[in-house]
Amino acid sequence: MSKTSRFKLLLIGVAVVCVALLLAETLIIKVQTTYVRKEPKFYSSPVATLNAGESVTQISSQAGWFKVRTSKGVEGWIHSQAVATGKLKVAAMDKSLKTSATANEVALAGKGFNRQVEAEYKSRNKDINFGEVERMLRIKVTPEELRRFLMDGKLAEFGGAR
Amino acid sequence: MRRPKLRFIIVLSGLMILALLFMTCQTLKENIGILSGGKVSTSDVEAVEKTTEAVRKSFAEITDEEEYYIGRAVSAMILSQYPVYKSDAVTKYINRVGYAVVIHSDRPETYAGYHFLILDTEEVNALAAPGGFIFITKGLLKRCQDEEMLSSILAHEVGHVSAKHGLQSIKKSRLIDAFRIIGSEATKRYAPEKLAQLTDIFEDTLGDIAEKLIESGYDRKYEYEADKLSVKTSVRTGYDANGLLDFLGTMVDDTSTGSEKGWFKTHPTAKDRIGRVQKEISAVSSMPAKNDARTNRFQSAMKALK
Repeated sequence: MSKTSRFKLLLIGVAVVCVALLLAETLIIKVQTTYVRKEPKFYSSPVATLNAGESVTQISSQAGWFKVRTSKGVEGWIHSQAVATGKLKVAAMDKSLKTSATANEVALAGKGFNRQVEAEYKSRNKDINFGEVERMLRIKVTPEELRRFLMDGKLAEFGGAR
Repeated sequence: MRRPKLRFIIVLSGLMILALLFMTCQTLKENIGILSGGKVSTSDVEAVEKTTEAVRKSFAEITDEEEYYIGRAVSAMILSQYPVYKSDAVTKYINRVGYAVVIHSDRPETYAGYHFLILDTEEVNALAAPGGFIFITKGLLKRCQDEEMLSSILAHEVGHVSAKHGLQSIKKSRLIDAFRIIGSEATKRYAPEKLAQLTDIFEDTLGDIAEKLIESGYDRKYEYEADKLSVKTSVRTGYDANGLLDFLGTMVDDTSTGSEKGWFKTHPTAKDRIGRVQKEISAVSSMPAKNDARTNRFQSAMKALK
């Protein structure tokens, strides 16, 4: 192999790495907590739990879901509404871009109407019932419970969904 | 003569690719630094803050997390007015029906997910606070005869959340003021003066939403939109969307006690809604059928309702 063609090969290699890097998108969790699921369905078994601010690498996408890899190397699916895409700087700096809202979502994490504002509001309104709100937030439907409920009721993929 | 030229082009393009690769890595690194809450330079923060301030203009730019804090406080207000109906079995059932609908809605993920609670009152009412806090009264549950009726109402409420009708009732001037304060501060903790200003706006914001939700009702167009979303979501879930018509049917010409309160007060008349829902339903090409297994489990869950 001549020197030139070896160099060409090297160039192609570098270009491939470059494209791969450009495609590998970092996604940041913007909801309090979400599951990484085995399949792109809400009733599919969780394989990992992620919290707000954690990042994952996107592998592929499919109708509202991202296949991702977590920092611990676990692969699975998360719903697109649970994440903000990682192109923060590029998107947020370009004011003409409408898509900057999700990037801001991450820049604004913990800001605005937050825990501190709520604490101040509570100190002004001591009779407001936040205790029941905390109890309400503890009500959960697990993916397995949901799967069984849909199946028994012949709903969604298990029956009459159109 | 041709070879050196070719080599020059190859070397040049190689250098360009390497430069691009380096820049990409740098940008990625910086993005990740900012996004993951790592150490960020002051100039980065300032740049983002300035843009954020310039970009945030309407309710649509309220973050999911801010929406959650608004929803929490609106819910706390609702729960200060109504007692909670405490039955784990019925609450569990309502949440399962609710979630079946949520995952087929236009917005299955919110900051802290959806939660459904029963209010212990004979008043016929259902309310949705921003972010996914959904309330249904015992009086309304008693009017439901099957899972389709119940799911259609929950789907209507989920529709209000997914279309952000609560957030849309916040006066625009308040949001502009709030965004200005938030945009001027680079930190997550506010100094006393800023905190007081922001909390004033927060209280007024809750007032705007509570007034619509509890007193005057949303704009009619939002109710029609929520009905439309209810039909769409029900069909996707596999429910017979006629459940909404069945429910609205129980509200027509109702003169029973309390018919001047709750849903009667805050919603357009049932007759008015029925006509529009019928149109939506007739556009559905293949409507799922009702199912005995669902009706049976509905009846057995409601046995506990007193």
